[in-house]
Amino acid sequence: MQTQPVRRLLLNLQKSVAAPTRNPRLAVVLGRFLATAFLICFATGLYSHFLQDPLPWMHFPTSPANLYQITQGIHITAGIACFPLIFGKLYTVFPNLFQTPLITGFKGLLERASIALFVGASLVEIVIGLLNTYQFYPWPFGFRETHFALSFVIIGSLAIHIGVKLPIISKYWKKIDGYGPGIRQSAEERELVDAPLIDAVPPGIQRAPGVKQAAGLTGMLFRWIDDTPSVDEMPADKRETKVPHHSSLSRRGFLATIGAGVGAVVLLTAGQSFAFLKPFNVFAPREKGIGPQAVPINRTAAAAQVTETAMDASWVLTVKNGSIAQTFSRAQLLALPQTTVDLPISCVEGWSQMATWTGVRLQSLVKAVGGGSGAALTLTSLEKEGGYRVTQMGSEYVSDPTTLVALTLNGETLDIDHGYPARMIAPGRPGVLQTKWLSSLEVS
Amino acid sequence: MSDNIPVSPTMAKVRLTLFGVGVVGLLLGAYFLVTKQNPMQIVGVAVWLLGAIILHDAILSPIVLGVSVLARRAGRRVSRVVLVIIQGAVVVGAILTLLVVPEIYAKTLTPANDTVLPFDYAIRLGLMWLGLIIVTGAVCALYLRRAARRA
Repeated sequence: MQTQPVRRLLLNLQKSVAAPTRNPRLAVVLGRFLATAFLICFATGLYSHFLQDPLPWMHFPTSPANLYQITQGIHITAGIACFPLIFGKLYTVFPNLFQTPLITGFKGLLERASIALFVGASLVEIVIGLLNTYQFYPWPFGFRETHFALSFVIIGSLAIHIGVKLPIISKYWKKIDGYGPGIRQSAEERELVDAPLIDAVPPGIQRAPGVKQAAGLTGMLFRWIDDTPSVDEMPADKRETKVPHHSSLSRRGFLATIGAGVGAVVLLTAGQSFAFLKPFNVFAPREKGIGPQAVPINRTAAAAQVTETAMDASWVLTVKNGSIAQTFSRAQLLALPQTTVDLPISCVEGWSQMATWTGVRLQSLVKAVGGGSGAALTLTSLEKEGGYRVTQMGSEYVSDPTTLVALTLNGETLDIDHGYPARMIAPGRPGVLQTKWLSSLEVS
Repeated sequence: MSDNIPVSPTMAKVRLTLFGVGVVGLLLGAYFLVTKQNPMQIVGVAVWLLGAIILHDAILSPIVLGVSVLARRAGRRVSRVVLVIIQGAVVVGAILTLLVVPEIYAKTLTPANDTVLPFDYAIRLGLMWLGLIIVTGAVCALYLRRAARRA
């Protein structure tokens, strides 16, 4: 029985023959890369999300200290690599867009709607993610909440999409099954596939129940594009030898283009996250080694409205544990034993910067107010407002010997834009949680 | 989906599992959106999703279609390999341009501080195209010389 899906598949196969780069095998090849990139982004994104909003039972590794630098660098870089991959993937399935009739039955409607949601959500997700890396928000919704919610929509749609396409994916998983859809087809099917365009479905097939042509303007356009004259004008016996050469050239050219696209966007932007690529950083929104004391910043003291409170001579850091409270002026903090550590500032936007910090071990300040080794803290900043003015720090970071209340950066007094008079620096945490302009620490 | 590709019982089970995972994912996404965003923001998300689909289906795709048409027509007169190389270079350049143009615009809106968008992206984009043209030209010339020698 010739059913609707068969007709659809056949029409796709025809188009694939006419345009060698648009075939199921290439869709599978690119789909694997894109799905991998999506899953990497989802996993690293969830890690970043829960670092910022941990569930009560969650504990995170503090070693290696640059773990978040790596996971978030990968998150952003893989997200940027999605651009060429998704364009390539959409190109391989391009003719499906012009299929007529647009919707066939309830199942077809569901499938088309799910694909539309998948494509729309994926494009919006990578675009808002990219723009967020340079704090550009031309949309009327919350970035974090939407980026988080859409990631679940994408992974859900991806699972459904893989489920729908599973037979095609399994058939074209291995190269040995060939690029061309002609393999393992009957003579009649081959005849159908050999038809060069969508508009001209062979008469034998037109009689089959449910068969309709993709007609109209797009059909005509496809005929014009895919009806490659140099091939069609040739005698049939020569055509066979010519087609594989052309199609293999197109395929290789297409894959090389997508590969070069991924290589270019990664090479020219990943230097913001990975030091060894810094010389190639041409287009990233951030650059390592710039800013006050050679460390970039996100939020300036002026933006946080702390330029006066942070410079106030009467500033003290209050450390509290229930009814016990102690205050430390900057001079008193400097008089305590000092520790120097190399830790990165790793931003949720993907940029990161290794730096040398000197200050007082957080552990010793907590001990001074009788806090035990399992103490967790509530950190409060001088900032007037903002989502990260008050944050929580889990016990794994409080007890880590490299976590400091930092007073100097790269050998100099902390710049006010880096959190003067004192800031937090801990291993493996997102930059937004490395609280600047500390005001109080409270054992929670 | 496709009657001429056999679906084994294992595959059918895997499929069902994937559909289950998919539905859970979609529901979670909808739940997070509805609980964390107000109705106007949700409308905003919907408009953006729709906008992305329209941008792809109605603007980008026809452009690609047009470029394909031109490339195919040029294909009658130019070496196919040269055409593939040029096509590839144009696509890579276009993708980079797509990523960089928003940066150029965002920089005009006064970034939060000097370490955000520190480069002159317009000049860099121009230089990138110049470099791309030179490299592509060189590769094509090299290919044509080799092909001529082989012939």
